[in-house]
Amino acid sequence: MTAVPVRAVAEPAGGGAPGVTARREFWARFRRNRNAALGAALVAAVVVAAVVGPWLSPAGYEDTDLRAVWAAPSPAHLLGGDALGRDILARLVVGARVSLLVAGSVLALTLTVGTAAGMAAGYFGGGLDAALMRLCDIVFAFPDLILAIVVAAMLGPGTRTVIVALAIVWWPGIARLTRSLTLSLRAELFVDAAIVSGTRPATILLRHVLPNVVPALIVRASIGVGFIVMAEATLSFLGIGVQEPLPTWGGMIRDGLVALRTEPYLALSASAALAVTIVGFNLLGDGLRDLLDPRVRAR
Amino acid sequence: MTGYAVRRLLGLVPVLATAVVLTFVANQFVPGDPIMTLLSDRSGDAALEARLRAEYGLDRPLWRQFASYVGGILRGDFGLSFRFASTPVIDVIAPGLLVTPVLAVGALALAVPAGVALGTCAALRRNRAADTLVVVGLVVGTSVPSFALAAFLVYVLGIRLGVLPVAGWGSLAQTVLPVTLLAVSPVAYIARLSRTYMLEVLQQDYIRTARAKGLRPRLVVYRHALRNTLVPLLTTIGIVFGGLLSGTFVIETLFNIPGLGRMAIQAIFARDYPVTMAIVLLFTFFYAATNLAVDLLYGVIDPRIRLGRRGAA
Repeated sequence: MTAVPVRAVAEPAGGGAPGVTARREFWARFRRNRNAALGAALVAAVVVAAVVGPWLSPAGYEDTDLRAVWAAPSPAHLLGGDALGRDILARLVVGARVSLLVAGSVLALTLTVGTAAGMAAGYFGGGLDAALMRLCDIVFAFPDLILAIVVAAMLGPGTRTVIVALAIVWWPGIARLTRSLTLSLRAELFVDAAIVSGTRPATILLRHVLPNVVPALIVRASIGVGFIVMAEATLSFLGIGVQEPLPTWGGMIRDGLVALRTEPYLALSASAALAVTIVGFNLLGDGLRDLLDPRVRAR
Repeated sequence: MTGYAVRRLLGLVPVLATAVVLTFVANQFVPGDPIMTLLSDRSGDAALEARLRAEYGLDRPLWRQFASYVGGILRGDFGLSFRFASTPVIDVIAPGLLVTPVLAVGALALAVPAGVALGTCAALRRNRAADTLVVVGLVVGTSVPSFALAAFLVYVLGIRLGVLPVAGWGSLAQTVLPVTLLAVSPVAYIARLSRTYMLEVLQQDYIRTARAKGLRPRLVVYRHALRNTLVPLLTTIGIVFGGLLSGTFVIETLFNIPGLGRMAIQAIFARDYPVTMAIVLLFTFFYAATNLAVDLLYGVIDPRIRLGRRGAA
């Protein structure tokens, strides 16, 4: 990669007067990109449901009501009840919260670890770089779900296990991306200038390298969210993810599939919620990539 | 070419070594004492306990256990099951060895032609209704996990219409839904890439030349364009295969299919970690071998690779 696209990537993050224009241009293009707008709307709907839903819901997600066991949708239970008579809608919105919190935690972990490792590897090079990249190669050598299953077996099922397992699977991707961007930034004049003026490496990385890496990381993260949500649901579906009594969409689909013949509401509503969320994040991520990545934009 | 093949083969060693160490370590994390679990109500029988401990090698120091673990794997021996006393892991998973490959190969055989056909059709009708339809389908196919899609398909085809069995393994009809669902995500992935590659190839000079000399459009696509999209597609087969292996965990659990994926998950709950880890090792070996085979094949097809100029590709 040459120096030019890196500066172009940095544009939207810049402050001051040019930044305002760039930001306005970004929003204008964002509105024209129908996929991104649709994705943003779907994601916003899920986020609102996750934040406000549990608070509006008359029934708690753990409340069992014997009269509502496998109940059909009714005014009291808008989407019916599950095997224990728990309100499906209440569990769906709490499930949204669980799903988003897990995805957010995984993102926070992978972005912190991956960015730090990638910048250090790209900036300092040498043995550290070689060691970190070999570590990434090893993680990449496993099909990702299989590695997550091994971690789940070691730590025992649970929310923390899911977060750790998915973070282990995802950080190398972030590290590789950050490393390659850091390598090209390392050759920039402004980094040389900082070095000769005696700036410490930590300051150079945080003040000069990091801001130029952030836009690419935003794109990468927004594409990754959908996959993280899917991976969490998969582990929970297999029973080695988030555990009862916390509701998760993956777990609800598993419970619902058993009773699909007579009581389809649980499996179908949880499947729909999961599908809408992942499609939303993927549309938004693809849209943001088109908007922020100059190589795609040029086409 | 031989030098390249040897280098790639040697590159597998650290990966497989890590997999062996990782699974050995994971086996140490089994909850509780596996021998006491095996003994269950005969836990007072000290002689039996000592015999089992010796048979499982758990009375030896950890490094000796590791040495015999590695030695066993090299001979195709994955140790003994913690759930079925004195039964070799390989005997426990043997029935699954005949099931999972059928699923995975079936899905691959479905996914590659379907994906290439969909992607090519979409590219040839760029920005028309058929293209839009395919692109929307691809977003759904790559986004929606198989078990969520399964809820809808099983409900409509299996329950409402009753045309397909909803679970089990053995008959041809029982393979239709699992293989199709397993293939959905790879179809979407392959179609997406083959659409992109086809759009790129169609812009090349040699396509214009072929058209200019009056070749029929059909021949231009089949003889000139399609062949050149298949080369980069080949590299993705490794990734697709990895996805299929992961997919079998879900699909086999979903449809109660007695394959390796369901065994691995059930073994976690049964605290039979040696079975889970043997399957993890097998899948990792298969995955690494597929990637190696794809890389070597790519070197055969594209001479730029075997000359070592990776960047040129």
